[in-house]
Amino acid sequence: MAHEATHAPKEDGAVHAHISSAGFYMMIFAALIGLTILTVGQSYVDLGRANLIVVILIATTKASLVVSFFMHLRYDNKFNALIFISCIFFIGIFFAYTMNDTERRGELDADQNVKILQKTGEEAPGGFVPNTPASGHADEHGAAPAPSGAAPAGGDHH
Amino acid sequence: MSSEATAGAHAGDHGDGHGDGHGHHGPKWLAHHFDTPAQQFDAAKLGMWVFLAQELLFFSGLFVAYGVYRSWYPEMFKAASHQLDKIMGGTNTIVLLFSSFTAAMAVRSSQLGKQKETGRYLLVTILCAFGFLVIKYFEYQHKFEAGLLPSRYFHPHMDHLVAGSAPLPANTGTFFGIYFMMTGVHGVHVIVGIGVLIWIYLRNQRGDFSKEFFTPVDIAALYWHLVDLVWIYLFPLLYLV
Repeated sequence: MAHEATHAPKEDGAVHAHISSAGFYMMIFAALIGLTILTVGQSYVDLGRANLIVVILIATTKASLVVSFFMHLRYDNKFNALIFISCIFFIGIFFAYTMNDTERRGELDADQNVKILQKTGEEAPGGFVPNTPASGHADEHGAAPAPSGAAPAGGDHH
Repeated sequence: MSSEATAGAHAGDHGDGHGDGHGHHGPKWLAHHFDTPAQQFDAAKLGMWVFLAQELLFFSGLFVAYGVYRSWYPEMFKAASHQLDKIMGGTNTIVLLFSSFTAAMAVRSSQLGKQKETGRYLLVTILCAFGFLVIKYFEYQHKFEAGLLPSRYFHPHMDHLVAGSAPLPANTGTFFGIYFMMTGVHGVHVIVGIGVLIWIYLRNQRGDFSKEFFTPVDIAALYWHLVDLVWIYLFPLLYLV
């Protein structure tokens, strides 16, 4: 990593910002383009459920390059880094709590009048029992016309 | 890196003992409620990072919506994503990454006090931003023509769809709702960014900035990098499902 850290005393009140070399910025840019090509290439390879994880990993690598070097966070006041990290942390909480709910609702099995978790086949906790199980469409996604991932029942759009 | 301009800045009384509170004892860009340029710079940066954190949290709502719906309807997301143009999206990604690079170079030039160079880099950044919007316009136009619109406006025209693509489930409108919301809000940020960058460009041409004072260029670039940051996630999540 090419640093040109300034070790001047800070007591003079002048701004001592870190200045990266032009070549270093070009290197970061080249890395970003390389990772973009990588993620496009990866999209042609089906890794099943690992797809999303790989995509997020590549994007996060790119994002950390941009944040660390283009946005100077690596050389900046540590308090700014703390603000950024805690922001990411709270986004994580937002995701975790929301998905914890939406992932555990299950689909209505109208015959048994229970909710079944699609991924495991177990009965879903909580949720609600609709008044008219025969209506068939009273599932937890509001008025979603189709059960998760399946072709829609009312395929009159084609 | 100290300079004559800042030498006088800390010579003033720190206790703010003067009655009027308008005793400028430093360069004209140093606000009188700051003791030193460094303090002003740090305060500006801190404020911007708090704002950027807010921006990220603001976008996170859309990302959570994406996560929930992608988990509910994985096949629908796959089918709908194939209607998006990877080439256009990829080109836009490269355009935006390049503009982010030139923005970083503009800050660097400004830090070194190279006014002309800063102006040139800012111009390239602004042009790339316009280029991004032009590509986006053609993308949106295709979506409108093909009837790939949000929720209840979704009415795909078979002759406009990508050849040989999987049939679209009836709830595909949900994907396009998320797509238009995410790219639309991001597009608004691009437009605001263009405005900010033009303003900074004009100030640079006016000679407002120097080795000692480049804070506005730095802050505007931070905003522009955030726009880039959001797109880094949007592109693979929407186009490469």
